[in-house]
Amino acid sequence: MKKQKILQLAKGFRGRAKNCFRIAINRVEKALQYQYRDRKVKKREARKLWIQQINAATRQHGIIYSQFMHTLAKDNIKLDRKTLSDLAINEPHSFKALVDRVKFMRGNGID
Amino acid sequence: MAMAHRVVARSKASTHRHAAVAKSCVVRPKGTGVTTRPARGLDFACRATVAGGEVKWVGNRRKLDLNRKYYPKKEDVDTQKKVWYIVDAEGKTLGRLATMVSMYLRGKHLPTFSPSMDTGGYVVVINADKVAVSGKKETDKMYYYHRVHRPGTMKTETLSELRQRVPERIVERAVKGMLPKGRLGNTLFTHLKVYAGPEHPHEAQKPVDITSLIDKKPKEADLAAVRAAVGLE
Repeated sequence: MKKQKILQLAKGFRGRAKNCFRIAINRVEKALQYQYRDRKVKKREARKLWIQQINAATRQHGIIYSQFMHTLAKDNIKLDRKTLSDLAINEPHSFKALVDRVKFMRGNGID
Repeated sequence: MAMAHRVVARSKASTHRHAAVAKSCVVRPKGTGVTTRPARGLDFACRATVAGGEVKWVGNRRKLDLNRKYYPKKEDVDTQKKVWYIVDAEGKTLGRLATMVSMYLRGKHLPTFSPSMDTGGYVVVINADKVAVSGKKETDKMYYYHRVHRPGTMKTETLSELRQRVPERIVERAVKGMLPKGRLGNTLFTHLKVYAGPEHPHEAQKPVDITSLIDKKPKEADLAAVRAAVGLE
Protein backbone atom coordinates (compact mmCIF):
# COMPACT_ATOMS: atom_id res chain seq x y z
CA MET A 1 0.00 0.00 0.00
CA LYS A 2 2.58 2.47 1.12
CA LYS A 3 4.91 1.55 -1.75
CA GLN A 4 2.26 2.24 -4.31
CA LYS A 5 1.54 5.61 -2.75
CA ILE A 6 5.20 6.59 -2.92
CA LEU A 7 5.62 5.43 -6.51
CA GLN A 8 2.52 7.37 -7.43
CA LEU A 9 4.17 10.51 -6.03
CA ALA A 10 7.35 9.70 -7.96
CA LYS A 11 5.77 10.01 -11.39
CA GLY A 12 7.90 12.06 -13.75
CA PHE A 13 11.13 11.59 -11.83
CA ARG A 14 14.36 10.83 -13.59
CA GLY A 15 15.71 7.33 -14.07
CA ARG A 16 15.15 4.63 -11.48
CA ALA A 17 13.65 7.09 -9.05
CA LYS A 18 10.30 6.77 -10.76
CA ASN A 19 10.25 2.96 -10.83
CA CYS A 20 12.24 1.53 -7.95
CA PHE A 21 10.85 2.07 -4.48
CA ARG A 22 14.13 2.20 -2.59
CA ILE A 23 15.40 5.04 -4.80
CA ALA A 24 12.03 6.69 -5.19
CA ILE A 25 11.42 7.01 -1.46
CA ASN A 26 14.49 9.25 -1.09
CA ARG A 27 13.56 11.50 -3.95
CA VAL A 28 9.92 11.65 -2.88
CA GLU A 29 10.88 12.65 0.65
CA LYS A 30 13.04 15.43 -0.81
CA ALA A 31 10.26 16.47 -3.14
CA LEU A 32 7.82 16.78 -0.27
CA GLN A 33 10.33 18.85 1.69
CA TYR A 34 10.78 21.14 -1.31
CA GLN A 35 7.01 21.42 -1.67
CA TYR A 36 6.68 22.46 1.98
CA ARG A 37 9.46 25.03 1.66
CA ASP A 38 8.31 26.32 -1.71
CA ARG A 39 4.71 26.92 -0.65
CA LYS A 40 6.20 29.69 1.49
CA VAL A 41 8.79 30.71 -1.12
CA LYS A 42 6.10 30.98 -3.82
CA LYS A 43 4.61 33.95 -2.01
CA ARG A 44 8.00 35.66 -1.86
CA GLU A 45 8.75 34.98 -5.52
CA ALA A 46 5.37 36.28 -6.59
CA ARG A 47 5.89 39.56 -4.75
CA LYS A 48 9.38 39.86 -6.22
CA LEU A 49 7.98 39.50 -9.71
CA TRP A 50 5.22 42.02 -9.07
CA ILE A 51 7.76 44.56 -7.92
CA GLN A 52 9.90 44.01 -11.02
CA GLN A 53 6.87 44.41 -13.25
CA ILE A 54 5.66 47.56 -11.49
CA ASN A 55 9.19 48.98 -11.69
CA ALA A 56 9.32 48.36 -15.44
CA ALA A 57 5.91 49.93 -15.95
CA THR A 58 6.61 53.04 -13.89
CA ARG A 59 9.99 53.53 -15.56
CA GLN A 60 8.22 53.54 -18.92
CA HIS A 61 6.32 56.54 -17.63
CA GLY A 62 9.32 58.29 -16.13
CA ILE A 63 9.19 57.48 -12.45
CA ILE A 64 10.90 54.79 -10.44
CA TYR A 65 9.35 52.13 -8.25
CA SER A 66 10.53 53.42 -4.90
CA GLN A 67 9.24 56.94 -5.46
CA PHE A 68 5.99 55.58 -6.88
CA MET A 69 5.25 53.29 -3.92
CA HIS A 70 6.25 55.89 -1.38
CA THR A 71 3.95 58.49 -2.87
CA LEU A 72 1.10 55.99 -3.12
CA ALA A 73 1.48 55.21 0.55
CA LYS A 74 1.62 58.86 1.50
CA ASP A 75 -1.49 59.48 -0.59
CA ASN A 76 -3.25 56.63 1.24
CA ILE A 77 -3.85 54.64 -1.95
CA LYS A 78 -3.87 51.12 -0.60
CA LEU A 79 -3.48 49.18 -3.85
CA ASP A 80 -1.22 46.21 -3.26
CA ARG A 81 1.60 45.13 -5.51
CA LYS A 82 -0.43 42.29 -6.97
CA THR A 83 -3.14 44.66 -8.14
CA LEU A 84 -0.65 47.24 -9.33
CA SER A 85 1.24 44.79 -11.52
CA ASP A 86 -2.08 43.45 -12.81
CA LEU A 87 -3.13 46.98 -13.75
CA ALA A 88 0.23 47.68 -15.34
CA ILE A 89 -0.12 44.67 -17.62
CA ASN A 90 -3.84 44.47 -18.34
CA GLU A 91 -5.02 48.04 -17.84
CA PRO A 92 -2.16 50.32 -18.89
CA HIS A 93 -4.41 53.36 -19.14
CA SER A 94 -5.50 52.93 -15.54
CA PHE A 95 -1.92 52.47 -14.50
CA LYS A 96 -0.92 55.63 -16.32
CA ALA A 97 -3.65 57.43 -14.41
CA LEU A 98 -2.04 56.24 -11.18
CA VAL A 99 1.38 57.38 -12.36
CA ASP A 100 -0.04 60.78 -13.31
CA ARG A 101 -1.62 61.04 -9.87
CA VAL A 102 1.72 60.22 -8.26
CA LYS A 103 3.53 62.79 -10.39
CA PHE A 104 0.91 65.36 -9.45
CA MET A 105 1.33 64.67 -5.74
CA ARG A 106 5.11 64.73 -6.03
CA GLY A 107 4.94 67.97 -8.02
CA ASN A 108 2.98 69.53 -5.16
CA GLY A 109 5.61 68.47 -2.66
CA ILE A 110 3.66 65.71 -0.94
CA ASP A 111 6.64 64.79 1.14
CA MET B 1 -6.28 70.44 -10.84
CA ALA B 2 -8.89 68.30 -12.58
CA MET B 3 -7.77 64.76 -13.17
CA ALA B 4 -8.85 63.42 -16.56
CA HIS B 5 -8.60 59.80 -15.53
CA ARG B 6 -9.26 59.38 -11.88
CA VAL B 7 -8.67 56.00 -10.34
CA VAL B 8 -9.73 56.46 -6.76
CA ALA B 9 -8.72 53.56 -4.60
CA ARG B 10 -8.99 54.44 -0.97
CA SER B 11 -9.28 50.87 0.21
CA LYS B 12 -8.44 47.43 -1.08
CA ALA B 13 -12.08 46.44 -1.31
CA SER B 14 -13.51 49.09 -3.59
CA THR B 15 -12.32 50.02 -7.07
CA HIS B 16 -14.24 52.74 -8.83
CA ARG B 17 -13.64 52.34 -12.55
CA HIS B 18 -14.06 55.23 -14.92
CA ALA B 19 -15.74 54.33 -18.21
CA ALA B 20 -12.78 55.73 -20.10
CA VAL B 21 -10.59 52.95 -18.80
CA ALA B 22 -13.16 50.30 -19.63
CA LYS B 23 -11.50 49.63 -22.97
CA SER B 24 -8.48 47.86 -21.60
CA CYS B 25 -5.48 46.85 -23.61
CA VAL B 26 -2.46 44.69 -23.05
CA VAL B 27 1.14 45.71 -23.64
CA ARG B 28 2.15 44.03 -26.89
CA PRO B 29 5.24 44.23 -29.09
CA LYS B 30 5.22 46.22 -32.27
CA GLY B 31 3.56 44.53 -35.19
CA THR B 32 0.61 43.18 -33.29
CA GLY B 33 -0.51 46.66 -32.37
CA VAL B 34 -2.35 47.26 -29.17
CA THR B 35 -4.84 44.51 -28.46
CA THR B 36 -8.16 45.91 -27.39
CA ARG B 37 -10.52 43.49 -25.76
CA PRO B 38 -13.38 43.75 -23.32
CA ALA B 39 -12.09 45.04 -20.05
CA ARG B 40 -11.37 42.18 -17.76
CA GLY B 41 -12.28 44.53 -15.01
CA LEU B 42 -15.89 44.61 -16.19
CA ASP B 43 -16.22 40.89 -15.63
CA PHE B 44 -17.43 41.84 -12.22
CA ALA B 45 -20.15 44.23 -11.25
CA CYS B 46 -19.00 47.66 -10.22
CA ARG B 47 -20.23 51.20 -10.12
CA ALA B 48 -18.75 53.17 -12.98
CA THR B 49 -19.25 56.48 -14.68
CA VAL B 50 -20.72 55.76 -18.09
CA ALA B 51 -20.91 58.07 -21.07
CA GLY B 52 -23.40 60.74 -20.14
CA GLY B 53 -21.90 61.24 -16.74
CA GLU B 54 -24.24 59.13 -14.65
CA VAL B 55 -22.88 56.60 -12.21
CA LYS B 56 -24.48 53.19 -12.43
CA TRP B 57 -23.80 49.51 -11.95
CA VAL B 58 -22.23 47.83 -14.95
CA GLY B 59 -20.77 44.42 -15.67
CA ASN B 60 -21.68 40.90 -14.74
CA ARG B 61 -22.32 40.05 -11.14
CA ARG B 62 -19.62 37.41 -11.21
CA LYS B 63 -16.87 36.81 -8.72
CA LEU B 64 -13.88 38.95 -9.42
CA ASP B 65 -10.85 36.77 -9.92
CA LEU B 66 -7.75 38.77 -9.31
CA ASN B 67 -5.79 35.70 -8.34
CA ARG B 68 -4.87 34.87 -11.89
CA LYS B 69 -1.34 36.17 -12.17
CA TYR B 70 -0.25 37.19 -15.61
CA TYR B 71 1.92 34.70 -17.46
CA PRO B 72 3.33 35.70 -20.84
CA LYS B 73 1.19 34.66 -23.78
CA LYS B 74 2.42 33.37 -27.10
CA GLU B 75 2.42 36.88 -28.57
CA ASP B 76 4.77 38.09 -25.86
CA VAL B 77 7.48 35.60 -26.75
CA ASP B 78 6.84 35.32 -30.49
CA THR B 79 10.15 35.91 -32.24
CA GLN B 80 8.39 37.40 -35.26
CA LYS B 81 6.84 40.08 -33.10
CA LYS B 82 9.88 41.04 -31.06
CA VAL B 83 10.91 44.67 -31.09
CA TRP B 84 14.34 45.50 -32.48
CA TYR B 85 16.48 48.14 -30.82
CA ILE B 86 19.73 49.73 -31.97
CA VAL B 87 22.51 51.28 -29.93
CA ASP B 88 25.46 53.28 -31.22
CA ALA B 89 28.39 52.31 -29.01
CA GLU B 90 30.76 55.02 -30.22
CA GLY B 91 32.25 56.76 -27.21
CA LYS B 92 29.87 55.09 -24.75
CA THR B 93 31.15 53.56 -21.53
CA LEU B 94 31.28 49.80 -21.89
CA GLY B 95 29.56 48.72 -18.70
CA ARG B 96 26.82 51.32 -18.79
CA LEU B 97 26.02 50.35 -22.36
CA ALA B 98 25.98 46.67 -21.51
CA THR B 99 23.62 47.18 -18.58
CA MET B 100 21.00 48.79 -20.74
CA VAL B 101 21.43 46.31 -23.58
CA SER B 102 21.00 43.34 -21.26
CA MET B 103 17.87 44.92 -19.78
CA TYR B 104 16.24 45.26 -23.20
CA LEU B 105 17.36 41.77 -24.24
CA ARG B 106 15.81 40.26 -21.15
CA GLY B 107 12.59 42.22 -21.35
CA LYS B 108 12.97 43.90 -17.98
CA HIS B 109 11.75 47.16 -19.48
CA LEU B 110 8.30 45.64 -19.95
CA PRO B 111 5.62 45.04 -17.31
CA THR B 112 4.98 41.64 -18.90
CA PHE B 113 8.44 40.53 -17.79
CA SER B 114 8.77 36.95 -16.59
CA PRO B 115 12.10 35.39 -15.64
CA SER B 116 11.19 32.06 -17.20
CA MET B 117 10.18 33.39 -20.62
CA ASP B 118 11.91 35.40 -23.31
CA THR B 119 9.82 38.56 -23.50
CA GLY B 120 12.72 40.78 -24.53
CA GLY B 121 13.71 42.20 -27.87
CA TYR B 122 16.62 42.09 -30.25
CA VAL B 123 19.43 44.60 -29.77
CA VAL B 124 21.81 45.68 -32.51
CA VAL B 125 25.03 47.36 -31.38
CA ILE B 126 26.99 49.30 -33.99
CA ASN B 127 30.42 50.94 -33.80
CA ALA B 128 31.36 48.40 -31.16
CA ASP B 129 35.04 48.89 -31.91
CA LYS B 130 34.75 52.48 -30.65
CA VAL B 131 33.27 51.65 -27.27
CA ALA B 132 35.06 53.50 -24.48
CA VAL B 133 36.37 52.52 -21.07
CA SER B 134 37.45 54.79 -18.27
CA GLY B 135 40.64 54.83 -16.29
CA LYS B 136 43.49 52.61 -17.39
CA LYS B 137 41.24 49.76 -18.52
CA GLU B 138 42.27 50.23 -22.14
CA THR B 139 45.70 48.85 -21.34
CA ASP B 140 45.07 47.08 -18.06
CA LYS B 141 41.77 45.18 -18.45
CA MET B 142 42.66 41.58 -19.14
CA TYR B 143 40.64 39.01 -21.03
CA TYR B 144 41.45 35.39 -20.30
CA TYR B 145 40.63 32.41 -22.44
CA HIS B 146 41.57 28.82 -23.09
CA ARG B 147 42.02 27.19 -26.46
CA VAL B 148 43.10 23.97 -24.75
CA HIS B 149 41.63 23.37 -21.32
CA ARG B 150 44.86 22.27 -19.63
CA PRO B 151 46.73 23.87 -16.74
CA GLY B 152 49.18 26.46 -17.93
CA THR B 153 47.60 27.02 -21.34
CA MET B 154 45.52 30.02 -20.41
CA LYS B 155 45.99 32.93 -22.77
CA THR B 156 45.65 36.53 -21.76
CA GLU B 157 45.22 39.71 -23.71
CA THR B 158 44.46 43.30 -22.86
CA LEU B 159 41.39 45.18 -23.97
CA SER B 160 43.37 47.08 -26.58
CA GLU B 161 44.75 43.85 -28.02
CA LEU B 162 41.27 42.34 -28.17
CA ARG B 163 40.05 45.49 -29.87
CA GLN B 164 42.63 44.89 -32.60
CA ARG B 165 41.73 41.23 -32.92
CA VAL B 166 37.95 40.84 -32.48
CA PRO B 167 36.42 44.16 -31.38
CA GLU B 168 32.85 42.81 -31.23
CA ARG B 169 33.85 40.45 -28.46
CA ILE B 170 34.36 43.28 -25.97
CA VAL B 171 30.71 44.28 -26.03
CA GLU B 172 29.57 40.68 -26.34
CA ARG B 173 31.57 39.62 -23.29
CA ALA B 174 30.25 42.55 -21.27
CA VAL B 175 26.61 41.85 -22.11
CA LYS B 176 26.91 38.10 -21.71
CA GLY B 177 28.16 38.60 -18.17
CA MET B 178 25.01 40.58 -17.38
CA LEU B 179 22.55 38.10 -18.81
CA PRO B 180 21.30 35.14 -16.80
CA LYS B 181 23.41 32.02 -17.13
CA GLY B 182 21.65 28.99 -18.49
CA ARG B 183 19.59 27.90 -21.44
CA LEU B 184 17.41 30.99 -21.47
CA GLY B 185 20.44 33.25 -21.07
CA ASN B 186 22.11 31.60 -24.03
CA THR B 187 19.02 32.18 -26.14
CA LEU B 188 18.90 35.82 -25.06
CA PHE B 189 22.54 36.22 -26.03
CA THR B 190 21.75 35.09 -29.56
CA HIS B 191 19.39 38.05 -29.82
CA LEU B 192 22.34 40.41 -29.45
CA LYS B 193 23.87 41.50 -32.75
CA VAL B 194 27.15 43.37 -32.44
CA TYR B 195 28.91 45.03 -35.36
CA ALA B 196 32.30 46.76 -35.37
CA GLY B 197 31.46 49.50 -37.85
CA PRO B 198 28.43 51.68 -38.47
CA GLU B 199 26.90 49.25 -40.97
CA HIS B 200 24.44 46.56 -39.99
CA PRO B 201 22.17 44.26 -42.02
CA HIS B 202 19.02 44.82 -39.97
CA GLU B 203 17.51 47.90 -41.62
CA ALA B 204 14.44 45.89 -42.55
CA GLN B 205 13.58 45.38 -38.91
CA LYS B 206 13.49 49.17 -38.37
CA PRO B 207 15.23 49.09 -35.02
CA VAL B 208 14.31 51.68 -32.43
CA ASP B 209 17.22 53.88 -31.39
CA ILE B 210 17.83 53.67 -27.66
CA THR B 211 21.33 55.13 -27.60
CA SER B 212 20.15 58.25 -25.83
CA LEU B 213 18.77 56.19 -22.96
CA ILE B 214 22.14 54.92 -21.72
CA ASP B 215 22.72 56.00 -18.15
CA LYS B 216 19.66 58.23 -18.16
CA LYS B 217 17.33 58.46 -15.21
CA PRO B 218 13.73 57.58 -16.15
CA LYS B 219 12.67 61.15 -15.35
CA GLU B 220 15.03 62.57 -17.97
CA ALA B 221 14.83 59.78 -20.53
CA ASP B 222 12.76 60.29 -23.66
CA LEU B 223 10.90 57.00 -23.82
CA ALA B 224 8.26 57.96 -26.36
CA ALA B 225 9.83 55.90 -29.14
CA VAL B 226 10.15 52.83 -26.94
CA ARG B 227 6.61 53.19 -25.62
CA ALA B 228 5.30 53.43 -29.18
CA ALA B 229 7.30 50.37 -30.20
CA VAL B 230 6.02 48.15 -27.42
CA GLY B 231 2.43 49.27 -27.81
CA LEU B 232 2.05 51.42 -24.71
CA GLU B 233 0.21 54.11 -26.71
